[in-house]
Amino acid sequence: MTDRRPKVVGFCCERHGMDAAVLAARSGRQYDASVRVIQVPCSGRVDGLHILKAFEDGADAVFVIGCLEKNCYYDTGSIEGRKRVEYVKGMLAELGIEKERVEMFNAASTNAWAFPEAASKMVEVAKRLGPLDMGGDTR
Amino acid sequence: MTNQVLVVGGGPAGLTVAKTLVDRDIQVVLVERTESLGGMARELTCKGLTECRNCGVCFAMDRAGELLREPGAEVFLLSEVVSAQRTGDGYKVKVKSSPRYVTDDCTGCGKCVEACPVDGKAVFAPTGSGQPRIHWIDRTKCLHFKKGKCDACASACPTKAIDFDDRAKSVTRDVSEIVYATGIRAVDACEVSRLGCGTFADVVSSVDAERILNEKGRLVRPSDGRPPKRVAVLQCVGSRSVKNGVEYCSKFCCKYATKISQMMIDTDPELNLDFYFMDLRTLYEPQDEFKAWAKGKKTVRLLRSMPAAVSQGPDGTLLVRAATETDTEVQETAYDLVILSVGMRPHGAKDALAGQLGIGADSFGFAVADRELEKAGVFVAGAVSEPMDIEEAAVRAVATGSRVSGRRRGTQ
Amino acid sequence: MSSGRIQVVICRCCTESPKLLDIAKLEAAANDAELVMSVKVVDEICDGKAVVDVAREAAEKEIDRAVVLACHKRDVSPALLKAYRRAGIDRSMVEFVNVREEVVLPHVDDPEGAQKKAETKLKAALGRVTMLVPLLTETEEMRTKNVVIIGAGVAGMAAAEAAARAGAHTVIIEKSSRSVKAPGILMSNTRLVATKGTPGNYELTIMAGEKTEELECAAVVVATGGGWNSLKGPLAKASKDAVPLYKLSEMLQAGHAPKGPVVIVDTPDPTGKSLKVMDFAWDEALMTAIDVKKKHPQTEVFMLFQEMRAFGLSEITYKEAAELGIRFVRYDRTGVPKVDPKDPTKMTVTDLAQGELLSVRLGTLAFAAIPANPDNRDIADALRIPMTAEGGLRRGGIQRWPVATPRPGIFVCGSAVFPKSADAARAEGEAAGSMAAAYASKGTVEYGGSVAQVAQEKCSACLTCIRTCPYEAPYIGTANKVEIRRQLCQGCGICAGICPSKAIELLHYTDDQIQQETRTMLGGDF
Repeated sequence: MTDRRPKVVGFCCERHGMDAAVLAARSGRQYDASVRVIQVPCSGRVDGLHILKAFEDGADAVFVIGCLEKNCYYDTGSIEGRKRVEYVKGMLAELGIEKERVEMFNAASTNAWAFPEAASKMVEVAKRLGPLDMGGDTR
Repeated sequence: MTNQVLVVGGGPAGLTVAKTLVDRDIQVVLVERTESLGGMARELTCKGLTECRNCGVCFAMDRAGELLREPGAEVFLLSEVVSAQRTGDGYKVKVKSSPRYVTDDCTGCGKCVEACPVDGKAVFAPTGSGQPRIHWIDRTKCLHFKKGKCDACASACPTKAIDFDDRAKSVTRDVSEIVYATGIRAVDACEVSRLGCGTFADVVSSVDAERILNEKGRLVRPSDGRPPKRVAVLQCVGSRSVKNGVEYCSKFCCKYATKISQMMIDTDPELNLDFYFMDLRTLYEPQDEFKAWAKGKKTVRLLRSMPAAVSQGPDGTLLVRAATETDTEVQETAYDLVILSVGMRPHGAKDALAGQLGIGADSFGFAVADRELEKAGVFVAGAVSEPMDIEEAAVRAVATGSRVSGRRRGTQ
Repeated sequence: MSSGRIQVVICRCCTESPKLLDIAKLEAAANDAELVMSVKVVDEICDGKAVVDVAREAAEKEIDRAVVLACHKRDVSPALLKAYRRAGIDRSMVEFVNVREEVVLPHVDDPEGAQKKAETKLKAALGRVTMLVPLLTETEEMRTKNVVIIGAGVAGMAAAEAAARAGAHTVIIEKSSRSVKAPGILMSNTRLVATKGTPGNYELTIMAGEKTEELECAAVVVATGGGWNSLKGPLAKASKDAVPLYKLSEMLQAGHAPKGPVVIVDTPDPTGKSLKVMDFAWDEALMTAIDVKKKHPQTEVFMLFQEMRAFGLSEITYKEAAELGIRFVRYDRTGVPKVDPKDPTKMTVTDLAQGELLSVRLGTLAFAAIPANPDNRDIADALRIPMTAEGGLRRGGIQRWPVATPRPGIFVCGSAVFPKSADAARAEGEAAGSMAAAYASKGTVEYGGSVAQVAQEKCSACLTCIRTCPYEAPYIGTANKVEIRRQLCQGCGICAGICPSKAIELLHYTDDQIQQETRTMLGGDF
């Protein structure tokens, strides 16, 4: 359990979220392999349930990355995604878990820096706060 | 009538015309002078942190990536249209492409640039977020060509993408219409030497500021790489000025500068930012919106004033000398970063090709194409014809594309 | 429940560029996996021969779903999906794993981590593809080729011409009795009341004079213009003869001499308390002022403003105006223009440049302000399109193209969106008209695929999805439970993400599918 690699999950929208990740990859940007990218059609698809289950299944930090608000491919999707993340932050606080373990980011397709920065921020949070280890038989 | 249309220029306008035509089943030959598509938009940054600020940069760059995947579009990079001869009902165009020396096995990793021994480098990444993400070599700087030896980049490349045997190519295409969209160049901030660009490291043009933001996501001082604490943004540098020959208003600079300012405050809410301007010409935004935003930020000041000079201050600061709004005093305020918002000049309207096609240029260098020229199949699109931002260039390009399409249908 | 006959394709071009992964191990892992009937390692999946070979084996082994380890699915040659379709595999059953840009390129310094990640992604993709069900799409004919244009102003006319030029049948609806030459049918004294229907098959309810009519169309262009006539505020109230700028231009064009001094003020409400102005017609105001000065050199002309928003080449007009002796007076909120209530021909304003109170005789007073068109609210409600904070009609995000709204087939242009010069409005109209015509010319609308689906027994009719969907796809059906209008659903899944009863699933991105992927990825040791 000590010194195990952090486990970070990033829910990434299929549009500008993924475009930003791809541009970063095509610009030689690197990020920690422990970041697992789960593609969704829109960051608004992400349910608080998915984030909480990710924590249950071993994630130490979870982020959601979507298009910039007001430029979401699906109009209000990334605004909804952010609401979901804020909601989960509230739940984590009630459970006595650090709110920083979940975060929302927005990116445009031209930002090569955005995805690696989000990834490295969450890896840093996971390392600093340590493994969450929610336990249970789901792992 | 052939099914092909030539688009000269791969910036926001050229890309949007090309996509509009391809969507209407018209084949496009797009010729771009530089190594990647996107034009000025490549170096500009998205100006939103969480919320879109409508700069249009992502729109242009999305079109760039998209066009490269369109089977109906043939894209020539590092290329120029050498001649356009009028034929029966169209033009025979000759396109000359310079060798890139890097194949599409390139992954954009940049190890070649690290390995290149030339001062200032001879191999380059695509400009900004330009597409495709393939590097290129400038043979006039490259030791392999100048001295006959040096394989540093080839050895460093993990996918063996360097190809010194690449050759220039020449092709001809028969096209029925030509769309001229050669775009703009930023005014060089150093032209206004009293404002310190070129003298002080921490005086940057807005284009440089955007380039840094696009690459790093943060604006840092060029001198020491630290984030700034007190920033001055100066508008209309080189625009609205008889002296610099850019008498017109470049139209988009207030829009971009206010949004860069907003992004900088988003990133660092403690940043002190002074915005010096003449008239607040925030495009497509009510005139009070930026003022209302600034009022809500304790560290932002709007100063209606055109600074006279930037000089060295104590402790490495920069002093901006300006008359206050009521013009009874001259003040010098210290900053650690100065951003000069530069305007633009049209580019390419006086080129030989433009002349060959009958495209005129007005006294400012903007391209002129009238309805007669369009009847002959020559169209002009984008900011080469008049000042406009990316969104307007895109809208007008759709309109141009529809006229090209209409001409082909004989309903012009 | 796992089922299927899976083919795994590993493309070396994508996964070995640069060489980081052990392809043999990936191949072995694929071969060992349940339900995998065929594993093909190819040098380049975009190569025609490779596609033929892969598809042939897929047909032979009766494959019904595939996992392709390559690059981004949009970069893989469309020939692969075409060949798969001929071999009986629906494109919705082909899962692309972007090994190149999600595993190899970002982790070049961590070959061990990249290898484990690639193997885990393969495992997750196999798990996901066994859960997939082929997606069904439907097509609907567009019953008409009509493009309806609302507004016969500058933008509307340009839209009509562009749409007609592109082969559409144009119907222009104009609220005034103005008669203009237009391609197609012009209906004067006509307003839009309501809209029904789905993209490509809209049914507009219009009021033509006193009569209510139904009008079917494939696409709509909204070109309702700015609120030129809705000027109100202290200056308009105090000066009964004040006119909007366009009336001053009309007066000059008709050959009338305006009574001097001519004073053009930016807004009748300088403090912005009662009138929200979107922007000002400064280019027109400058040209009108120059027109006055050229025709009547003795007439004094003043322009009072807070910001002189003379964009682009209008700056040259500004210079010309100043050179002709037109007086420019900048003011701010500390010294706004006021009309003396006792003497409505006297206007005072604090000239910022002089720092003094300026007193001007009012011969003709005109305003350059363009507030939002008060009709926009009704149009937005009728067409179900969004508005801006200033009261204009807004386009969708720029990502979805300018002049487009979130409703497919409905476009907005001109000063209805935000005030602009006649030339710019014309260009927007042309763009919108041509896009509307292109949409209408498709003749059919395709919908379905990865759309939302409601398990009605779980639905508690809380209306959350209805309030959240940007496209109004969910509605309360006859069973008092939510149903999804497939023609409107764009597959974002916002409803599925927010439904508190978990009654809505998004096909191809169900909760189970997302959780399976997440759990598998977290299970990998990297």
